[in-house]
Amino acid sequence: MSGHVSIKLASERVNPSVASNNEIPRFFTPGEVICGLGDFMRGHGTYLEDNNIKSSVAGVMQKVNKLICVHPLKSRYVGEIGDVVVGRVIEVQQKRWKVETNSRLDSILQLSSVNLPGGELRRRSAEDEQMMRQLLKEGDLISAEVQSIYSDGSLSLHTRSLKYGKLQQGVMVKVFPSLIRRRKNHFHVFSFGISMIIGNNGFIWISPIPRELTNEERNVNSDTSSPEVSKHERKAIARMKNCIAALASSKMMLDDNSLRYAYEESFKYLNVKDLLDTEAMLDVAFLTQHRINDYDED
Amino acid sequence: MAGLLLSRTEKVYIVNGIEEDFRSDGRSNYDYRPIELETNVVSHASGSARLRLANTDILVGIKTEVDIPKPETPGLGKIEFFVDCSANATPEFEGRGGEQLANRISNILQRAYHASQAFNLKQLCIFEGKQCWKLYVDILILECGGNLCDAVSLAVKAALFTTRIPFVKAALMDGGDVDLQLSDDPFDSKPLVVGTAPLLVTLCKIGNKFVVDPSAEEEFCSIVSVVIGVSGNPAHYTTEKIENVESKFTTIGMSGVGGLVPDTLKSAISQGIVAAKCLDSALGRSLLRERQDICSYKKDSYGFLK
Amino acid sequence: MPFDYRRFNGPEDSVSYKRFSEDFLRTYDELYKDLLDENGKRKDGRALNEARSLCTSISRTNIVSQAKGSAYVELNKTKVICSVFDPREITGHQNEYSWFGQIYCEVKFAPFSCPRKRRQLVPDSDEKALSADLKKALETVVRRDKFPNFQMDIFVYILEHDGGCLSAAINAAGLALADAVVPMYDIVSASSVAIINDQIIIDPTEAEEHLALMYTDKEKNHGLVTMCFMHHLKQFTDFRQIGSVDAECVLKVMDILEKECDKLMLVIKKIMVSNVVRQHNEHKVLLEEAKFREEVLQSKVEEWRKLLNAG
Repeated sequence: MSGHVSIKLASERVNPSVASNNEIPRFFTPGEVICGLGDFMRGHGTYLEDNNIKSSVAGVMQKVNKLICVHPLKSRYVGEIGDVVVGRVIEVQQKRWKVETNSRLDSILQLSSVNLPGGELRRRSAEDEQMMRQLLKEGDLISAEVQSIYSDGSLSLHTRSLKYGKLQQGVMVKVFPSLIRRRKNHFHVFSFGISMIIGNNGFIWISPIPRELTNEERNVNSDTSSPEVSKHERKAIARMKNCIAALASSKMMLDDNSLRYAYEESFKYLNVKDLLDTEAMLDVAFLTQHRINDYDED
Repeated sequence: MAGLLLSRTEKVYIVNGIEEDFRSDGRSNYDYRPIELETNVVSHASGSARLRLANTDILVGIKTEVDIPKPETPGLGKIEFFVDCSANATPEFEGRGGEQLANRISNILQRAYHASQAFNLKQLCIFEGKQCWKLYVDILILECGGNLCDAVSLAVKAALFTTRIPFVKAALMDGGDVDLQLSDDPFDSKPLVVGTAPLLVTLCKIGNKFVVDPSAEEEFCSIVSVVIGVSGNPAHYTTEKIENVESKFTTIGMSGVGGLVPDTLKSAISQGIVAAKCLDSALGRSLLRERQDICSYKKDSYGFLK
Repeated sequence: MPFDYRRFNGPEDSVSYKRFSEDFLRTYDELYKDLLDENGKRKDGRALNEARSLCTSISRTNIVSQAKGSAYVELNKTKVICSVFDPREITGHQNEYSWFGQIYCEVKFAPFSCPRKRRQLVPDSDEKALSADLKKALETVVRRDKFPNFQMDIFVYILEHDGGCLSAAINAAGLALADAVVPMYDIVSASSVAIINDQIIIDPTEAEEHLALMYTDKEKNHGLVTMCFMHHLKQFTDFRQIGSVDAECVLKVMDILEKECDKLMLVIKKIMVSNVVRQHNEHKVLLEEAKFREEVLQSKVEEWRKLLNAG
C-alpha cells in the first residue's frame, strides 16, 4: 500500500544530451548570410535581401541540390501534401471540423473528405450536416492525411481510406515535430503487442493492436470502441510511452527503428515506472544511440 | 483545467488503467512522478525554493518583516500566503483569470498552517506584545502540469526549511517604542523549526479508486477530489536522533462537483496519510542532503539552467 | 484591510473597546475551565452532544418577496437569511458555452454580527473562503444541467454569528433553493463539531469555536469540522476540517456528524412541507376572494343591463 516518492536535488541533474556520430552541422541565426543568390532556390526559413540569401530562423541549414532551407529545432508543424498526421477535433462547424495539429493555424477536415459510416458513396445532404456531431465531436482524436494546403498555410485533411479515421483506446504523446523522421510508412505494428501511428506533426498515438471482437463482447458493448485492454498490453503501451519521452528529452530522431531499439534496451529496467527517472531516460537514449551507430556501421 | 480536451475513448483507457492500479505511464495509484528541488535560488529572499514535479513548476520566496503582533495573540508571530498564477503557465491565467485557483490554494494553505502543532508561531516573537516577525510566503506558479496543491506545499516547506531569521541582539524600550538592534552579519541568523509543517496531498477520485499525484489528463477524468494536510515528522529533518511525532490532520477539504459516500472518504484519508508520510520522509532526506552540500561548500546555484 | 471608498468609514485607528476588558486576555486554560459547569453542561444548558434545534416555528421560507426563493434560519442566537435569484446570463464568458449552469455564492457577515470585532463592508478573506465552501457544497446537489450557460445567484447574509455559520448557511441555502423550485438531487443538511482537548462538542457556539481554534501548546486534538450531507444518496458533498486532529478522531467525528445531519434532515423536511402547505392555503384563499369579486361584478353588470333596457 505504500507509494514511491523520489525527490532529487538540482545539483544532481543530468545533462540529457547524447552525443551522436554525425558531424556537427552548420548553424545559422536569423539575419546571417548563407550565401549569394547564384543559382540557388530559397526554401523554408530563408529570405532574400541585397542579392543574398539570409536565414530567417535559428537552425540547421539543409542543402538538397540547389535548394537551400534552414530547419529550426523547435517549430510548429509545417505540413506537406501526403503527410500522415494525428489531430484532435476542437470545433464542429458547418460542413467541416476544425482539427488541432500543432501547426500555426488549425487544420480543416471537410465533411466531404470523410467516409460516411456504412461506406456509402453519395453527395452529403443537409441531414449529414446535422449528424456531424455523431461522427466526430470536440475532443475526438483522428488520424488523417494532408490533402492540400490553403493559401494562408492551413492544412486540409482527409480520411478517405480505411486506415485513417477516429482513434479508439490508447495514449497520445506529444513531441516536437522536427524530431519525426519522414518515412514511407507511419503506421507500425510491433511484435510486442502494440500498434503505433507516428504523426508527422509530432503527435504519436500508441494503442493496442485492434483485434476482432467476439460475439459476446459485441453484444455487451453497445459501441465497439471499448474492448478490454489486457494488463500485458497496458505495460507495453506504458513502456513505449516512457521510451518516447526518453528519446524526446535527449532530442533524438524518432522513427520505428529507433523506437524499437529503445523499447528493447529499456528492458534493462524491469519496472516500467523506473523509466520515469531522468537518469534512466538518459541511459535508454544512450544505449539506443549506440545501437543505431552500430547498425549504421554494419 | 480548461483547454485540455480528451476523447471519450482516451478517458475510458485512463479509468480502466486506474482500476487495475496501472496508470498510463506505468505508475501505481500511490506513486509520485520524479520531483526536482532546489533551495536558496533567490538571493534577496530570506528563504526560497524551486520545485519541479514533471510539468508543474513552482517558485516560492519568503520575506521576513518586523510587525506588531495581533492584540489577541501578543506572543505569536504571523505568516501569510499569497499565490500568484503567472500568465506563463497558461494563457487562461492572463489578467485575473487565475484568481479563483490562486484563492483556493492560498485558502487551503492558510487553513493547513493554522494549528500550533503544524507551525509554531511562538518562534517568530521578538518582544511580546510589541514586535514580532511576519513571514510573507509568496508562491509563483510558473507552469501547470496537474497536482498543484502537493507541489506548492512541498516547495513552501522546503523554502521555510532554509529560511533564516536574523538574530535580535537587543530590544530597548524607548518610551513606548521598541528599538531593535539586529546583527550586521548576514550569517548570524537562526533557522526556523519546520519539522512539523504540513504537506498537502491531493487524492483524485477516478472511477472507483483514488489516485495520488494526478497528471493533467487524469485530473480531467475526475469529478471530485479530497485534499488533506498532514503535519510532518521532525525526525526526518534533523540528523540528531529525536523521537518520532505522530502525524495529525491539519486540514481536510473537498473540491470538485461530486459527492462521496462516507466509506470512500474514510479509505481516501487513510490512503492519503500513508502517501503524506512517504512524501515527508523523502523531502526530509533531500533537504538534509542539500544542507550537507552547502556545509561542504559544494553547492553551486543551478536554478533554471544546467 | 481593504478600504471601502463608497461608504463613510469610521476613523482608521479606532479599536474595539473589548480589547481593554479583562475578558480579552484570559488564557486558554481559564477559558477551557469555563467551558463546562459542574453538571457537565455547556454555558447554554446543552449537553456536549446536543445540537441546537433548528427552531421550526422561527425558520421560514419565502421571507424575501423580491427573490425567487428565500429562507431564514435561526439556531438559538445564530441568524442567517438566504435568498436565491432566477438564472441569468453569465457575464463575461460570451464565447464559451458551458454545458452546466454556474452557481455564484456570496456569503456576507453583517457589520454588527460578530461579537469580537466589527466586520468590514468589503468581503474579506474569511467571507470569500465561506463563499467558496458554500459553492462547493451546493454545486453537487443542484441539477445544473437544467440551466446550461446560465448563472444562478445565491446570497447569504449572516445577521448574528454565534457559531455554526457555515452549516447554518448551507441549511438556509438548501431551504431557499427548495423554495425557489430549483431542481435538486437531494436535500442537503449540514452540521459542525468542535474538538477541544479530545472532547467532541456538537454544534459549538462562537465562544467554543474560538476556543477550538485558539493557539495552544497542548498536543491533544483540537479543531473544527463542518460537514454537509445528502440524506437519500448518503453522500458527503463537503467536508472541511481545520485544526490538528488525528486519524481515528476524524473517523469518529464523521460518524457522529452523519447522525446529526440525519436528524437535521427531518426538521428541514418538516419546514419545507409546512411551507408548501401554507402556500397552498394562501392560494386557496386568493382563489375564493377572486370568485367573490367576480360575483359582485356580475351582479353589477346585471343591474346596468336592466337599467339600459328599461331606459
